Amino acid sequence: MDQFGARGKVLAGGTDVLSMMKQGLLAPEVLVSLKNLAELKQIYADPARGVVIGALATHNDLADSPVLQERYLSLCQTAHHMANNQVRNTGTAGGNLVNAVPSADLPPLLIALGAAVTLVSTGGSRTVKLEEFFTGPRMTVKKDNEILTEIVIPDNSFTGSTYHKFGLRRSGALAVVGVAVAVAMEGDLCRDVRIALGAVAPTPIRAFKAEEVLKNRPVTDQLLEEVGRCAAGESNPISDIRGSKEYRQDMIRVFTRRMLKKAISEGHV
Amino acid sequence: MSDNYAVIGKNLPKIDGRVKVTGQAKYTGDLKFPNMLVGKILTSPHAHARILSIDTAEAEKLPGVKAVITHEDVPGLKYGISPARWDENIFCIDKVRFVGDKVAAVAAIDEETVYKALKLIKVEYEVLPAVMDPIEAMREGAPQIHDEYPGNINTEVHQSFGDVEQAFAEAYHVRTDQFIGQRTYQSPIEPHSAISIWEGGKLTVYTSTQSPHYFQYYIAREFGLKMGDVRVIKTYVGGGFGGKLEPTGLEFAGAVLSRITGRPVKMFYDRHEMFAHNRGRHKQIMKVTTGVDKNGKILGVHADFIMDGGAYTSLGIATAYYAGAMLPLTYEFDNYKFDMLRVYTNLPACGAQRGHGAPQPRYAFECHLDMVAGDLGMDPMELRLRNARQPNTVTPNAFQVNSCELKACIEKGVEISGWKDKRGKLPPGRGIGGAVGSFVSGAGYPIYRTNLPHAAAIIKVHEDGTAATLYTGATDIGQGSDTILCQMAAEAMGYNYENMKIVSADTETTPHDFGAYASRQTLMSGAAVKQAGEEVKAQLLEIAAEMMDVAAEDLDCREAWIYRKANPDERKPFTEVAREFFVRRGPLVGRGSYTPPKLGGTFKGAPVGTSPAYSFCTQISEVEIDEETGEVDVKEVWDVHDCGKVINPALLHGQVHGALYMGMGESIWEEVVFDDKGKIVNGNLGEYRLPTALDMPKITSELVDSVEPAAPWGVKEVGEGATIPTMGCFANAIYDAMGVRIHSLPLSYEKVWRALKDKRKKEEKK
Ligand SMILES: Cc1cc2nc3c(=O)[nH]c(=O)nc-3n(C[C@H](O)[C@H](O)[C@H](O)COP(=O)(O)OP(=O)(O)OC[C@H]3O[C@@H](n4cnc5c(N)ncnc54)[C@H](O)[C@@H]3O)c2cc1C
Repeated sequence: MDQFGARGKVLAGGTDVLSMMKQGLLAPEVLVSLKNLAELKQIYADPARGVVIGALATHNDLADSPVLQERYLSLCQTAHHMANNQVRNTGTAGGNLVNAVPSADLPPLLIALGAAVTLVSTGGSRTVKLEEFFTGPRMTVKKDNEILTEIVIPDNSFTGSTYHKFGLRRSGALAVVGVAVAVAMEGDLCRDVRIALGAVAPTPIRAFKAEEVLKNRPVTDQLLEEVGRCAAGESNPISDIRGSKEYRQDMIRVFTRRMLKKAISEGHV
Repeated sequence: MSDNYAVIGKNLPKIDGRVKVTGQAKYTGDLKFPNMLVGKILTSPHAHARILSIDTAEAEKLPGVKAVITHEDVPGLKYGISPARWDENIFCIDKVRFVGDKVAAVAAIDEETVYKALKLIKVEYEVLPAVMDPIEAMREGAPQIHDEYPGNINTEVHQSFGDVEQAFAEAYHVRTDQFIGQRTYQSPIEPHSAISIWEGGKLTVYTSTQSPHYFQYYIAREFGLKMGDVRVIKTYVGGGFGGKLEPTGLEFAGAVLSRITGRPVKMFYDRHEMFAHNRGRHKQIMKVTTGVDKNGKILGVHADFIMDGGAYTSLGIATAYYAGAMLPLTYEFDNYKFDMLRVYTNLPACGAQRGHGAPQPRYAFECHLDMVAGDLGMDPMELRLRNARQPNTVTPNAFQVNSCELKACIEKGVEISGWKDKRGKLPPGRGIGGAVGSFVSGAGYPIYRTNLPHAAAIIKVHEDGTAATLYTGATDIGQGSDTILCQMAAEAMGYNYENMKIVSADTETTPHDFGAYASRQTLMSGAAVKQAGEEVKAQLLEIAAEMMDVAAEDLDCREAWIYRKANPDERKPFTEVAREFFVRRGPLVGRGSYTPPKLGGTFKGAPVGTSPAYSFCTQISEVEIDEETGEVDVKEVWDVHDCGKVINPALLHGQVHGALYMGMGESIWEEVVFDDKGKIVNGNLGEYRLPTALDMPKITSELVDSVEPAAPWGVKEVGEGATIPTMGCFANAIYDAMGVRIHSLPLSYEKVWRALKDKRKKEEKK
């Protein structure tokens, strides 16, 4: 990648790169396929670092991973509800992040779980918190010569997490809004919470104020509704073919409340 | 009538099932010919612009490019599928009228070169003000799209039967409602494609078509060729739904490119180009007024509609008439008025899509009638029952209805859906709604004026009797006409389905047929096939009579055995007799043709909507609405059809499922959206949201007994009729669930959410 710079493009599953090339939106001189790097396909628990997801793991690899099913079933569910089966068989987790589309499904939950990514180049490797990875639609801090090798979910105190893609049909729909939450419950008090929203801003965002509203107060339906309203206020969606700004904001309210309730009572689902 | 049939009425496997599932079936896009070139059309980036100049020099110089053509290289004769308004040119001459209008074309050795060449064609435009909305387009001072049609009025319909004003004056209750439809697109899974081979004086076109005949007719006309010198061959087709009825730029430009280069030229649309070519459903703005008496009897109806036609006519004149003509079929009333304006806009041209013009008005009418029933405090299905059409009646617009079991359809629908226990009684968020529909079983008149029979068929029995080939112009586009016509042929001949072969939809080898539209082939092509089969049988029985030394009248033939009626054990195999026939008399051939009787009234537009027979149906759906998000979850749908005698139940129920699938999509999800410059925003299958398998509800498809006297074996249509009530039935179910009425299609989650929000606001105010 050093050699080609901006003239080259990494090819993972190709579900995004190739369709953009076909539409004439992208014309790299060189495609560098990562296909043969089998070590980047693994998903495993590393006692020192947490759960590691290789960048080349496909969505179906995520959905089928025993490690994830045991630790973060929510992530399996998220992957399972993406795209359609053909795309889930080829599209990769790394591609989903680097692609940096605001409506992408994996970023919100990974952000909620506090994940970080490892970027590698000939100059060495660095770790970036996923939350700080995205800079705008289709823009990230990754440099042209860097490759994303893995996603790491550090061990944490979260007792539950979940994600909901609100799409306009049951398969092959992109998110109108995406809401991910991770909660650390102690009795009926929420000690820690992260709320991450997709499709409502140029990048996935955290709803920091909403998180504060929830923390350390007895959880009631009323409180969750208040958190939802606050998150809606923090979102800044555009109106487009999938929904108006007003609709999207209200859906953030609804699904923040619903997802919190689900993660609080059902765990990682 | 005896139902003792050997071949029809059975779930026999599709004749092309194996080749399709194994991938052996060749669609036009799969075909390759030696030296074949690839062609592509350059289209307009502007919704409305004057063409100042076109410079093709650079494109022509590109290595691999074999021809570049513009309007200067093709006939200037205007064409269109509706003879009354030929308004399209192969390439635009002075102006482009929508984003996607045809400007030039290139043929080159491969696809990559073609795309490069297209980019090298320089077109200078003077951009003109454009108009995307039919109401705006009619305003004074609006941009004029065609000089010949002032005010952008493409078609104007004013029909009046009985005295509507009088009926309203006498009515106990009169109500008016307005509804708005949307532009949808057929989205066949197979993109359009055509391969043209112009050799010597003869043009051969392999194409993805619903009607080889209309293609042949219009292509011959455009190029001044004799019909006999144009051969149109349908390959396997992956769906049409009305969008492949008329020849496109692919055939016209492809023919010229082939003539110039002397090589076969393959042309195709990609998914986005399909959306731009369109010919999909018109968006209609529909005002309906109905007057009823105290008991809910309909006294008169006024339908006052406007439709967005897009930049050209396509089949839109017929669509405009169909929109109003089909409404009185389901209910009996004498006073009916129908006004329609079809308006040009700078958007892709609309045409015929499954149900041709009728589904959106039906949505409007069925919602409106539920509201009328609500005003009267009546159960909406009861109101329908009270008005339901009876058999052997004539509509105010002079359609003769023979068989009609609409009442039975409604009653059965109410029963199997548990309507009485559900309507108004389901838990919050859940609702049930119903609607009815009717459709033609073939149009009474062809698209252009001619006295040709509507269908014809030839059956040739193999010399040793071990096979029989049906030659028919009928067009299988996936719906299964090849299968059911072979069943019909075998039944009529007294033969076996398994031994039937078919050659269909090739204008050179098969007899004439108008093709797959207006749900016509089961009845019309079927009538021709039946006649051909019976002719084969009669000839066989004659020979068999000689062989068996009995009178031909005493014999019959069934499942490939010829037997004495009085003693069926006295019999001879079909093969033996057929072989003997060939020895004694030469080829064993049966012929048939079908021309409908003279139908309809004499008023302007009277032919549109005439048909030898009409199908009827009721659909009831149950939905669950998420009151916070507006999400519509379709739980279950019941369809009860009167479609006459059924030839192949599995295919029939397949049609109902497919029609419901499309109808559901149009009801809740689908809409072609444009930006303010007339560019399609969602010309792809990602954002043009067809439902998926996961969205399909449980479907119960049921029939009522019915036999149509005007049809072979009593058959009627099912293909389009099942799309007609769907939108209305969902809108009514949503109303039952939430008490909100959505006045426009699609009934999207966001619209439901907004309506619920408005309702809550109003309730808070009170
Ligand atoms: C029909 C369809 C439906 C879809 N539905 C969804 C959906 O529901 N939800 C959703 O979120 N997305 C969806 N997508 C988008 C897409 O499939 C996913 O984003 C997918 O995860 C992309 O992964 P990929 O491996 O195919 O990426 P590619 O297309 O191979 O690459 C995408 C981008 O990331 C870069 N890249 C990929 N991997 C690396 C790496 N390891 N290091 C550096 N750069 C890299 C590429 O250079 C390119 O810029 C859909 C796509 C299609 C075609």
